[in-house]
Amino acid sequence: MEYLSEHLIPGQLGRFFVSLAFAAAIISAFANLFYLFNKQEQYKKVARASFIVHAISIFSIVGMLFFLMSSHYFEYDYIWKHSSLDLPTRYIFSAFWEGQEGSFILWMFWHAILGLILMYTSKKLEATAMFVFALVQAFLVSMILGIYVGDLGIGSSPFVLMRNARENIGLPWTFVADYLEKFPVFMDGSGLNPLLQNYWMTIHPPTLFLGFASALPPFALAIAGLVSRDYSSWIKPTIPWAYFSVMIFGTGILMGGAWAYEALSFGGFWAWDPVENSSLVPWLTMVGAAHLLIIKRNSKSGLRSAYFMMILTFILVLYSTFLTRSGILGDSSVHSFVDLGLSGQLLVYLLFFTIAAFGLFFYHIPKMKKSASEEELSSKEFWMFIGSLVLLISAFHIIMVTSTPVYNTILGPDIMLSLNGGDLAPPPDPISTYQEYQLPFSIILTLLIAITQFLSFKKTTKKFFTKRLYSTLAVSIILTGLMATIYKFWLQPGYLSLLFAGIFATCSNVSYWLIAGKGKLQFSGSSIAHIGFAFVMVGALIANGKQEIVSNTTVQLSDELPSNENAVLYLNDTTDLYQYNAVWTGTRDSSLGIQYYDVDYYDTTSGKKEKLFTLEPYIQKSEEMGTSANPSTKHYWNKDVYTHVVYSSLLETKSEDGYGNEMEVRMEKGDTAIYQRHFVVLDSIKVNATFQDNSDQIEKLRIEVKLVLINVLGEEYIARPVYYIEGENAGFEDAYLEIQKFKFRLAGIDTDEPDSKKLVIKAFSEITEERDFIIMKAIIFPLINLLWLGCILMAIGTGIAIWQRIKAN
Amino acid sequence: MKKTHIAIIIVIAVSIGAIISATGDFSTYVGFTQANEQPGTKYTVIGELDTNQAMNFDPLSSTFSFVAVDKDGKSSRVLYNQPKPQDFERSEEITMKGYAKDDVFVAEEILMKCPSKYNETNKLEGYETY
Repeated sequence: MEYLSEHLIPGQLGRFFVSLAFAAAIISAFANLFYLFNKQEQYKKVARASFIVHAISIFSIVGMLFFLMSSHYFEYDYIWKHSSLDLPTRYIFSAFWEGQEGSFILWMFWHAILGLILMYTSKKLEATAMFVFALVQAFLVSMILGIYVGDLGIGSSPFVLMRNARENIGLPWTFVADYLEKFPVFMDGSGLNPLLQNYWMTIHPPTLFLGFASALPPFALAIAGLVSRDYSSWIKPTIPWAYFSVMIFGTGILMGGAWAYEALSFGGFWAWDPVENSSLVPWLTMVGAAHLLIIKRNSKSGLRSAYFMMILTFILVLYSTFLTRSGILGDSSVHSFVDLGLSGQLLVYLLFFTIAAFGLFFYHIPKMKKSASEEELSSKEFWMFIGSLVLLISAFHIIMVTSTPVYNTILGPDIMLSLNGGDLAPPPDPISTYQEYQLPFSIILTLLIAITQFLSFKKTTKKFFTKRLYSTLAVSIILTGLMATIYKFWLQPGYLSLLFAGIFATCSNVSYWLIAGKGKLQFSGSSIAHIGFAFVMVGALIANGKQEIVSNTTVQLSDELPSNENAVLYLNDTTDLYQYNAVWTGTRDSSLGIQYYDVDYYDTTSGKKEKLFTLEPYIQKSEEMGTSANPSTKHYWNKDVYTHVVYSSLLETKSEDGYGNEMEVRMEKGDTAIYQRHFVVLDSIKVNATFQDNSDQIEKLRIEVKLVLINVLGEEYIARPVYYIEGENAGFEDAYLEIQKFKFRLAGIDTDEPDSKKLVIKAFSEITEERDFIIMKAIIFPLINLLWLGCILMAIGTGIAIWQRIKAN
Repeated sequence: MKKTHIAIIIVIAVSIGAIISATGDFSTYVGFTQANEQPGTKYTVIGELDTNQAMNFDPLSSTFSFVAVDKDGKSSRVLYNQPKPQDFERSEEITMKGYAKDDVFVAEEILMKCPSKYNETNKLEGYETY
């Protein structure tokens, strides 16, 4: 059959480039392998050429998908699912990587660029490194192949037509030649999720995926180092790559935190959600690995640990991909991808690289020369090494708790039942669990950052160690005392220790840079990055540990129930929020189903009652996601006032006649339901149908049900709602009960189940609460700007360090 | 023995310690029956909203109560000391973290799974009419 109005060529081109990218990656991998064995130049040429072909194919895939999206070719499944005609052009990027396929392409795109750079810079290590690179890319491209071998699907293609998509095959409309013109549903896409139509969605995924991608070059170089048997050869070229990864990956993760804080109603910047954790963990090990490389460069030790951490980091990136994309986190995370049926393929991918890389590593361990000399306790490298290990344990703990759903899946329900009495659930209060464990790690780590600034590589003389130590300690203690008094930390030893560690780390890095490094730019990189890290620690500590929930109300139901953290605001009425008075002045509707709630804040402390600021939290309604609350924040230099609407009476379904509290039941004759302390019995059904002449087409249909209401005293009341169809029109005649203020509606016949005899009955009761109100949460986050400043300093400092390193190389 | 080896042994010891102590933090997915047997112990219950039973939300004290049916079919009244989650009626599955107390389940945290939360699960409408 010939389908009309379809644009098949771009899709075919797209699929062609996917196949070409796949084939070229495999050819490149093999050519590199051949070159490794017999060192013939022509293999190297083939390997390079095919990788270039591969990269160009990836760029073409990106181009094709963009073309399809901007041309609104909704016959393509991916385009229909992720974009629509009214999607503003600036969100086309967000739509591109909203789905799994698009984000795989984004990831491959960065790999292709990094691969090209690595190919021309890795010199002696090129063949093995590019072999690994091409192999990884071949696996990734297979994720978007979208071919079926028998019943086994390999990958999911973004270029598949809607009528060929698996879930649609065999549906009646796929046999209609002019389906695109006939059905309105195909004339416009279902659109990009409105919640993702913001600039965060434009900048966060590409940064994070560049971060993910940046873990591959160091891994490839590490494998190349092992294979070359010149075990230290990879250290020097890998250092800039490793720190590039630390910088970009870190920026990507923190951008996610900033997105959560600014635009989502998590009530904070970090929720220890499995998706967040699974990207944090490889970053932690990458930081550890990068420092181990520095240790190895400056001393003779740390080689095996550097290999181990670098390989582990890449495996953790794959594991993170597996967790977030296999659907395994379904019950425990709010924002993992839906399962596309790729979990088997992802698992093969993960296991292959885990076994191959660690196998190679353990095979080569005995061949590495052991450093004969004992490490000096006073050496910088020893304490840096300890720091890397602390990062490893910290990462281990996070991933262990995050992996709960994996244990359930691996062990199965029966084993879990005998071991644990049921499937393991994540800790009931994940945030405090993680924080409790991670606090000691962060204290030790931050202290190590401080102490190592007074040590030198190989051996530290007492004079060098003490030269700046006492003055720095004195300044740090004074500053800590000051901060602890302002922010009331004296009674919390754990928090106080971290506060001191953070301030000490800041001061010691300043002193290192100014005195030992003489304030020169070339020594500033690591100091700035470390200060950034210390700022993040102190900022997170104060903003999180000292947050004040000003919407906290005194209403408490029992001792065990947590006190209520939300305040009720009636329209135009003043509500006390500790040092503020808040007034909700009204709402404004905007595009994309957004409704703004204007809340004015007044100062109560000065006694003048002046208006300080207005916040505009909003609620967004969308068909895909239901409603979602977005916060609004007033930023001061030293604190943020954060507000989001938790509940709005405006959004409850109200009918025009003042009835609400809707409840829907499906009942057949004889069934009983309970509505607001009444039994509702469906007593009988009366059906009147008139048929059109000489056909079985219904002309008029009238269904009346008799509902018997029985209250707690056993008194009975009768309601008779009616549902009717007249020709094209359907309607109801609602039944009202004056005493109870109830309204019943026969809303139709249950069509969810075939052959159902059930009727859909809706009950309403009159709403007495007439005034509109909102319930909102307001939190003050002190000194949160220190956290963001720390993030920026970390990125800048690392950037300077990389630049210095590249210049030196 | 080298100092680095000692450090690595300490790391392994701490990791094992972390595993052992962290297993105590995990909760278990159970039904209401089990939760009622151990009042006060925190559990995670997955269930569905019983739409045939009344929901009640008192905005002033912001307490929300509803009846949920767990996976074994056992139903229980659930108290939630937070505003009623918007679109609660639409939820397909509710994950409730909390504890049993006097035959009600006090939920401290509620996660809902709504139908078609993601675009991928959207069904094509309109073809049935053909």
